[in-house]
Amino acid sequence: MTKLEAKNIVKYFKHDSHRLKALGGVNLQIEDGEFVCLVGPSGCGKSTFLRIVAGLEIPDEGEILFDGKPVTTTGPERIMVFQEGALFPWLKVQDNVEFGLKMAGIPKEERTEISKRYLDMMQLTKFADSYTYQLSTGMKQRVAIARALVMDPDVLLMDEPFAALDAQTRDLLLVEMQLIWEKTKKTILFVTHNVTEATVLGTKVAVFSNRPSMIKKIISVNYKRPRLVEDQNLFPLQQEILSELRPEVKKS
Amino acid sequence: MKKNTLAKQIIFYVALVAIWQIVSMTNIWPNNLFPSPYEVAEDLVYTASDGSLFFGIATSLLRLIVGLTIAIVGGMLLGIFMARVEIVNQTIGSLVLGLQSIPSVAWVPLAILWFGLTDGGIIFVTTIGSMFAVTIATYTGVKNINPHYIEAAKNMGAKGTQLATYVLIPAAFPYLISGFKQGWAFAWRGVIGAELLFSFLGLGFLLNVGRQLNDISQVFAIMLVIMMVGIAIDGIIFKRIENKVMSRWGLR
Repeated sequence: MTKLEAKNIVKYFKHDSHRLKALGGVNLQIEDGEFVCLVGPSGCGKSTFLRIVAGLEIPDEGEILFDGKPVTTTGPERIMVFQEGALFPWLKVQDNVEFGLKMAGIPKEERTEISKRYLDMMQLTKFADSYTYQLSTGMKQRVAIARALVMDPDVLLMDEPFAALDAQTRDLLLVEMQLIWEKTKKTILFVTHNVTEATVLGTKVAVFSNRPSMIKKIISVNYKRPRLVEDQNLFPLQQEILSELRPEVKKS
Repeated sequence: MKKNTLAKQIIFYVALVAIWQIVSMTNIWPNNLFPSPYEVAEDLVYTASDGSLFFGIATSLLRLIVGLTIAIVGGMLLGIFMARVEIVNQTIGSLVLGLQSIPSVAWVPLAILWFGLTDGGIIFVTTIGSMFAVTIATYTGVKNINPHYIEAAKNMGAKGTQLATYVLIPAAFPYLISGFKQGWAFAWRGVIGAELLFSFLGLGFLLNVGRQLNDISQVFAIMLVIMMVGIAIDGIIFKRIENKVMSRWGLR
């Protein structure tokens, strides 16, 4: 079943007087439960595309269909995980995780019960009462993922969530992310500039061209999980993606 | 470190009083223009023992609290609207900047005409003299919120009052607290100024009585009290809130 469909998405960046065509008609179809990684040269608008899917930005042309219905605004069925987590520094970890439930008017006991489950899943139980400044970058990103999962969204939108992590922490989270995906069966859209990350995580990797961006190629990754960063068998696929990307990066 | 500072301060103030005493003993200025610290202390003991000092402090503080509370609530509301609704900023925003430049005592004639010689008039002066400082701080604070906080909150279903209460105000709090501090300082000036001009109670009134009776010791004594109340409120209330907020945010 098609969960998400992008139909000819066009978006201009506006800088004072001139406009720059960032997205030049992106078409993408995502089935329920797929894990799609978006890679592309920096500045190609892949993050903007993700924001459009989230409903945080409105495309200049085209539309996003979620379960066949056009997306016009943000919704709890499409939850975004930001690059730096965007955790609320005035709340404890547990209250951060429960935020969306609180907004939905769910009573305290029920919230605690739900958040406990996800704090446990993300190995955060010990840090439930910490403030975010007391956490490492990796821990913060776990909290951000827990905060998104608590909403039980159909689609998880992740904007380079591991970009700021050190290599060891990232490798660990790459494995965990696969387990979470297998456990929760969420549809995931994951923006990254890291080809290895994309092949490790994705069921599909969509390669963006340079501006005005379109999807140049979609590569399926059919390989057993959990996949590891150092897995040599993913190497040919990574080479293939890189060979698609290289001319695009040169153009920019 | 902290102890050291306190010791330095004690030495400084003891020295200051000693110099004051010496200068007053030289009789450079006549005693009815420049009292000795002993005379001022005597006056303080006297006004304290008949209760008029404490009654004066209580009266002024009560007016301050009422006026400042209205100013903080009103100022925050206005500031949030200015920051979130562009048309409000473009119209009322410019007016706020203008009103902010009017010293609080300049509102006194208007207050007397509108409210008569009443507490209402003094509270009006206090409120209007401090509200716009809070407004401007709130506006700046909300404008400087990391946009991802607001996007994440909206994505998780927060809107309207919920967004303001659970996100905008706490996220802007480091700015708000400086606005409150500034607002309080303006409010305290406003109360004393207004009392000086048209009240029969309060510290400002006692100060004016001192002038009318040519009682220089009382003038000195009341000024000292005004200063000490100021230091106390700043140190006890605002410093604490500030420290708490800063440490929670990991800023200190």
